[in-house]
Amino acid sequence: MSVLVISILLALAGAIIFSLIGLVSGTDETAIMVPFTLLVILLGAPPEAVFSFFMAAVLAKHLTHAIPTALMGIPGDTTAVPLIDHASSLRRLGVPHVALRKMLSGGLIGAFIALPTAVLFGQFLGQFADFFKSSSGLIFTLAAILIAYFSKGKWVSVLMIIPFAFFIKSIDTFSFSVVEKHLSTSFFLGIAIGPMLSDILFSLSPAARKGLVRSSAKEYHLAPETKSWRGYFPNPFRVLTGRQTAYTAATSFVSSLTFAFSPVGMTSLMGEIVGSRNKGVYKKASSSLASMNGVTESTYIAEAIIPLLAFGIPLSPVALGPASPLFNAPPVFTSEPVNNLHNMLTPWEFFLYGLIGLVIAALIAYPFAMNYARRATVFVMKNISQEAIVGMFIGLACLLAFHEAQLVGVMLTLTMAAVGGLLNRVLGVSSGVQFMIFYGSTYMMSKLLGV
Amino acid sequence: MATEIARKEAKAAPAKREYIEILGDTVVPVRILSAIVISIALSIGGYFLGKSIFPKIAEAKMVGSYSLLLGIAGSVLGLIICASLFKPSRILTEEETSSEGMEEILLSMQTDPQAEYELIKNDPVTKKEMEELGILETFKRSGGRTHE
Repeated sequence: MSVLVISILLALAGAIIFSLIGLVSGTDETAIMVPFTLLVILLGAPPEAVFSFFMAAVLAKHLTHAIPTALMGIPGDTTAVPLIDHASSLRRLGVPHVALRKMLSGGLIGAFIALPTAVLFGQFLGQFADFFKSSSGLIFTLAAILIAYFSKGKWVSVLMIIPFAFFIKSIDTFSFSVVEKHLSTSFFLGIAIGPMLSDILFSLSPAARKGLVRSSAKEYHLAPETKSWRGYFPNPFRVLTGRQTAYTAATSFVSSLTFAFSPVGMTSLMGEIVGSRNKGVYKKASSSLASMNGVTESTYIAEAIIPLLAFGIPLSPVALGPASPLFNAPPVFTSEPVNNLHNMLTPWEFFLYGLIGLVIAALIAYPFAMNYARRATVFVMKNISQEAIVGMFIGLACLLAFHEAQLVGVMLTLTMAAVGGLLNRVLGVSSGVQFMIFYGSTYMMSKLLGV
Repeated sequence: MATEIARKEAKAAPAKREYIEILGDTVVPVRILSAIVISIALSIGGYFLGKSIFPKIAEAKMVGSYSLLLGIAGSVLGLIICASLFKPSRILTEEETSSEGMEEILLSMQTDPQAEYELIKNDPVTKKEMEELGILETFKRSGGRTHE
């Protein structure tokens, strides 16, 4: 079989599997992408096909994870956390399916903007490889300050950066002394399930419980279905208004360039910017959702492609997480010395095989989610209780943390979730800020304390 | 154990039930704790099962990945079990929100319904979109009431 045919088949497999996985809320990206990608690599797929598979999987998963985010208010994965507030506004107005359509169309546009941008920018950046390798810690720290200032907590978030970095470094050092490796998935998971865990903790405390007690079940109103397109494949440019398309395109383009930032942080930042330029609950929420989902898509794609193409070493949060097998999957790929997609594919091949992945995922996941969105809402709302979803989310988090570092991983995740969740819920220190502080913590502590 | 809890609960159900709001949706406290226990047990259980059977049938380097997949299968199973044991406590109405409801919702989001309606009225693109969705009328009623 030719490389092209294998690439198409693997992209197809990636798109179908990850469209389904995306429907399950709370599937942590890193923990889900890594084993599947590793499987494909270790089974001996050619590098071109591995790349097509990865691109198709990322896009398909991002598109369908919008469903739990919009319809149930549960983040489809960590990158969907900042979208929750806007999604629940539209959910309360009775139009969760509108939230979903805006997100899907924004995501699709974001993906196709990110691919060429990232390939060109990656080529350009190749010449500054040394600078970026040496100053990533500083970049993460500055980004944390910027994002903290734009978050809900504002000054308190800025003020919490150092103490929070100290806390993270402390539990990192302690867990290192037990398992002799630095954990990352467990930290991600802890930050992601933080708000959920803090709600549960509140409900267990007689002192804090009052704020969460309700005397009746929550009511939801679902507006009538309106299909604003003909045929099976909707036109994303008609789902979004002209202004929304422009915002999505602009924010996706900018976020493709800021590859060293956390996708969650970038999404929060861009969402705040777009949100502040739109007035009125409905318009603010729908415009923010379109561009935020475009940003999660574009940061993910760009953060995988740029370091691969420019450096061959993982120098972005995505490259350190979900895309890490593309850099390091011994014995097939290694980053020390660099022997991975960086040397195996030309920039033109990155573009071509990336495009194959994106097109196939777009053809499968986008119309599926668009056409069955409302039916999926009704099904989920009637049949799947919040208890089951929250239970699964916490179960998955414990499983993945356990996979990373056994009991230490689970404890670290729960500690992180309790502290991060309370900071988030009580003081408004958002998840995006927490992620950035996590990435910058090593740099900050070594500069301040010399450790 | 879980079914017993569900049964006990069903007996006590006619009395006034207390809900807890978690991530924007209401849940029954006993059920949420049972759901978490079931889910953790099945996820980690699936993982342990994988760790014990896969070394016999798969290559050593794949054992971790396969076990993780089995653990994920366990959490999906947990979702199915919990979804069938604990029915949603939310109430789904497949129709427009009443104007009073919408007004309450907007006020609880700290927005002024009237200002909100004014904004929509002056924005033809958003107005048309909300009209097509059939929610413009409710906005009009909740926001324009005192006005028109």
